Amino acid sequence: MALVKNKQITQDNWQDLAAEQTAQANSIVSLEYWQQNKLTLIASQQPIGLKVSGEVAAESFIDALEHVALIAVEFPVFSDGRGYSLAKTLRDKYNFSGEIRATGDVLPDQALYLSRVGFDALLLKSDASAELAIEKLTEFSVYYQNDSTNQ
Amino acid sequence: MYLYNEFDQTLVNERVEQFRDQTQRFLSGGLTEEQFRPLRLMNGLYIQTHAPMLRINIPYGLLSSKQLRMLAQISRQYDKDYVHFTTRQNVQYNWPALEQVPNILADLASVQMQSIQSSGSCIRNITSDPLAGVCADEIEDPRPYCEIIRQWSTLHPEFSYLPRKFKIAISGAPQDRAVTQVHDIGLHMKKDATGNIGFEVLVGGGLGRTPVIGQTIADFIAEADILSYLDAILRTYNRYGRRDNKYKARIKILVRETGLDTFKAQVEAEWEHSKGGELSLDKAEIQRVKEFFIAPSYSASDDNKLNSDLETSGAFRQWFKQNTREHKQAGYRVVSLSLKSPHRAPGDVTYDQLQVIANLADQYNFGHARSTHDQNLAFTDVKTEDLFSLWQQLDEHQLATANIGTITDMICCPGLDFCSLANASSIDIAQGITETFTESAIETGSIKLKMSGCMNGCGHHSIGEIGILGVDKKGEQWYQLTLGGSDTHESKLGQRLGRAIAKEDVVNTVNDIVNVYKQHRNGDEQFASTFKRIGIQPFKDKVYGTR
Repeated sequence: MALVKNKQITQDNWQDLAAEQTAQANSIVSLEYWQQNKLTLIASQQPIGLKVSGEVAAESFIDALEHVALIAVEFPVFSDGRGYSLAKTLRDKYNFSGEIRATGDVLPDQALYLSRVGFDALLLKSDASAELAIEKLTEFSVYYQNDSTNQ
Repeated sequence: MYLYNEFDQTLVNERVEQFRDQTQRFLSGGLTEEQFRPLRLMNGLYIQTHAPMLRINIPYGLLSSKQLRMLAQISRQYDKDYVHFTTRQNVQYNWPALEQVPNILADLASVQMQSIQSSGSCIRNITSDPLAGVCADEIEDPRPYCEIIRQWSTLHPEFSYLPRKFKIAISGAPQDRAVTQVHDIGLHMKKDATGNIGFEVLVGGGLGRTPVIGQTIADFIAEADILSYLDAILRTYNRYGRRDNKYKARIKILVRETGLDTFKAQVEAEWEHSKGGELSLDKAEIQRVKEFFIAPSYSASDDNKLNSDLETSGAFRQWFKQNTREHKQAGYRVVSLSLKSPHRAPGDVTYDQLQVIANLADQYNFGHARSTHDQNLAFTDVKTEDLFSLWQQLDEHQLATANIGTITDMICCPGLDFCSLANASSIDIAQGITETFTESAIETGSIKLKMSGCMNGCGHHSIGEIGILGVDKKGEQWYQLTLGGSDTHESKLGQRLGRAIAKEDVVNTVNDIVNVYKQHRNGDEQFASTFKRIGIQPFKDKVYGTR
């Protein structure tokens, strides 16, 4: 896996929390784990990430937004566009300013649109994919729509 | 018409280079077919029965003579010397080679044309009234708004992986010539009590295997808010539209399953947040785009020459009556160029014809032409004194068949001959109907016949006054007929006539239907009205009583 941030391949300091494990600093936890351990996680004051599927509505984890530093949006398949609206909603409606990371079936040819709706981190399958994704981020110099990204 | 500025041109050029790279990576194995598929579709490229099919956008049907010449040149250089006009005002090439498509797109970009989002699960070409700006009954010219919505939807990062395709049509007149009621979103321009411009918004219409007439979701959305309102509908659809079954993925199914009231509440909750925000249209921007659509400089003209021409030729008189219509400017007419001659499949135009049309457009129509949803072309600004000469030249090139609105002016998909989805052929049935009715079409009167080679309904059969749908029965081609549909401002789905008809009997069955109508019509009563009065039973009796 290779993480693209700020148009370059970047070391990933975050880790998906494995089953049966307890969250530590920089763990990315599932929505279920968040819901079950919310109070502990908040009390620990450690940087925590939350992973949700693109089909999940932002309204169902709105309580996490002020406590998590990262939201990873999982694409079950690259052609499922729900994650785009989720990221856009998190940025524009809920003003979430932490990292929004695209994970799952993320392909270089989708990198630009993902970044335009508010994803500022893309987890690609390989270094080669990540390098191509970086090229694809600058394929257009003009857009008809405003930008929702911090990138 | 709208002309690209440097910004628009840069975007289209960069899109061509993006697709060139994607095509090369696909051809060299860097992209799988599954990964390439949505990318090529969003550039209008299908894989069809014989070859790829490339669909080019004609935004809301407007074409310049320069663009017509380029369409001709591409048909000669990369295809088989003809193009096909579709029901969404677009144009299709049936024989391009995949590896040449980036070059075709580059050639198109040089004349401000593109194929962006002409296919795929995204917002498609915005279609409109082919008589926009020239019809007497217009409330407001829809074309500037079409262009504004075109730009907003082009390369939209959030709405390019929707559950399914998404079609928007805009009408600016009470008479709906853009079939807005069978679009995912239909917009009707209107003015409120104080004269402010806005839109009635319809949602959830569509044809295909589940035809639905759209319903009003908002009575009046002010022009400043139209983009934020569309954005709210699209986000609601993107979020809740079904993705488990592509046959249930259109917004019409979502609206039906959710219920219009709940759907509307979801849209309004979304809109509440975005209304008045960055998508608001200011007057200056609307005015900037409107400047591109000001009427051409008409000259004072009268109908004296026309009237004497009408005296001299019966054939011209017939064509004038059938293929031209009233213009809001005195001394001008709107001319339909029939693409339904007996010599060619409906909607097809040859290289030579395209060249002729381009030259005639320059000579008689301010260098412009328009495509229409019923697969014809139109010259919308012709001086009546030029009509006779225009007619003679159109006639010479088989573009003056006097059949607009008649049974031979049918809508027809490419069918089994080209399309990999089709169950049955449509072009040969169309030929049979044309042969049978060419002599009697005018006398038979206005009948809208629409035919699709499968239930995806590209030929709009569901809303045909006579609808013909090709179905497959154990490997044989059969045809399901419907009667009494309508594509007007009161769109209506046709009623099923009865069991499917064998291929060899279809033309005779249509003839039977026409004869029942003729037998029952009062004076010059139109088919739709006769059908409404007598119902479907006499037609059933005739068709199934004898077989």
